[in-house]
Amino acid sequence: MPAVLGFEGSANKIGVGVVRDGKVLANPRRTYVTPPGTGFLPGDTARHHRAVILDLLQEALTESGLTSQDIDCIAYTKGPGMGAPLVSVAVVARTVAQLWNKPLVGVNHCIGHIEMGRLITGANSPTVLYVSGGNTQVIAYSEHRYRIFGETIDIAVGNCLDRFARVLKISNDPSPGYNIEQMAKRGKKLVELPYTVKGMDVSFSGILSFIEDVAHRMLATGECTPEDLCFSLQETVFAMLVEITERAMAHCGSQEALIVGGVGCNVRLQEMMATMCQERGARLFATDERFCVDNGAMIAQAGWEMFQAGHRTPLSDSGVTQRYRTDEVEVTWRD
Amino acid sequence: MRHADADAGGGADGGAGQGGHSCPGGADTAAAPAGGAPPPHAPGPGRDVASAQEGLRHRQSRIRWHLNRMTPSTLSVPFPTTLEAEIAHGSLAPDAEPHQRVVGKDLTVSGRILAIRWKAEDCRLLRISVINFLDHLSLVVRTMQRFGPPVSR
Repeated sequence: MPAVLGFEGSANKIGVGVVRDGKVLANPRRTYVTPPGTGFLPGDTARHHRAVILDLLQEALTESGLTSQDIDCIAYTKGPGMGAPLVSVAVVARTVAQLWNKPLVGVNHCIGHIEMGRLITGANSPTVLYVSGGNTQVIAYSEHRYRIFGETIDIAVGNCLDRFARVLKISNDPSPGYNIEQMAKRGKKLVELPYTVKGMDVSFSGILSFIEDVAHRMLATGECTPEDLCFSLQETVFAMLVEITERAMAHCGSQEALIVGGVGCNVRLQEMMATMCQERGARLFATDERFCVDNGAMIAQAGWEMFQAGHRTPLSDSGVTQRYRTDEVEVTWRD
Repeated sequence: MRHADADAGGGADGGAGQGGHSCPGGADTAAAPAGGAPPPHAPGPGRDVASAQEGLRHRQSRIRWHLNRMTPSTLSVPFPTTLEAEIAHGSLAPDAEPHQRVVGKDLTVSGRILAIRWKAEDCRLLRISVINFLDHLSLVVRTMQRFGPPVSR
């Protein structure tokens, strides 16, 4: 019955979670929110994480009812992500692992999302659409690797949405994507935007440049409202994501789709994916905001699987890395 | 931690001794053009741009020469026990320094002392590295205070 403590802080969310045998015992989290019109910078984000991480750790232990003796393994995000925030969190994970003399496991952030998605939804072997502010990938499991079937060739879809929110000075609280989603519900006019699917992959930086330009022009002339632009951007980028997911499902003959990552909270995206799945006779799985958005328990869960399969990260190998491909990890815990 | 508190810039025990706040290397290093000997080609009214630029390059190359030649500066951090010094080392050593070709640091433990030696070719990046290190060191110490003491081996 191993209990694993997981630390996550690769972007602006910092979370500490406790998982034991497939049960999430605690999952407190804080988000570093910046003023409208701005994004979060690595140094400031790391400073935020350093200020709250020890309180979060205490909260996680209290909420789970466990003591340091009861913890069997310390898991943390090895990468990918932003450098300074990753280091700030890893340093604490290494320290408690040594203080309590427990083994350390470095987890790939993307795999954390996938393993939590599998645990919470019970999906068997889905095609995974992983969409967040930092990542956009279509992933399917095959022979001990989470293989990337399609991905963004430039920026993540969440990054496109977040940067567009800055142009309109949309609030970042609780997240820019959430506020775009609410505004999009009031949009009435579809503004035509470039549609950039590239085979199995997608591209968003061109759409971002285009819509930033359109926003300045059309809002000045009153040709459309900010709500119309939010609606148009979502419809366009989400349709692209549905297309590349469908393409991967067709290649794999897959009957299940799973959405993970912060953008996966978006109800409109879930609707569009559900329509596509229904047309194919496939099932769609998605999690709620607690597990879609970066959190500590997902790292604990992936760490639990890795720990059970015998993975250990020696201190000398425990350095963080900003670039860490999903298919670099050997998934020994699945057949 | 007395050593860390004593010097804001973090260059406590350097070979050159005085380690100023901006660049270790002693008093003869002009970290900013304003320090040290007056530059030979100071731009003034009426001097043309080309010779002013030449003067600036000359000063910068002197600075780089001093930094490369000077003894690396060292920060020594004492801990209450050997084990805690080793734990701090284990937590702070694994992450690679950004800008590895320009700034590097080496962490070693001997007894209760954690020693960090910096070598740098650029003042600004050295300053950033030291500040980041001190932030993470502080975090490690706070973690040990709150969730320690270490369990017996």
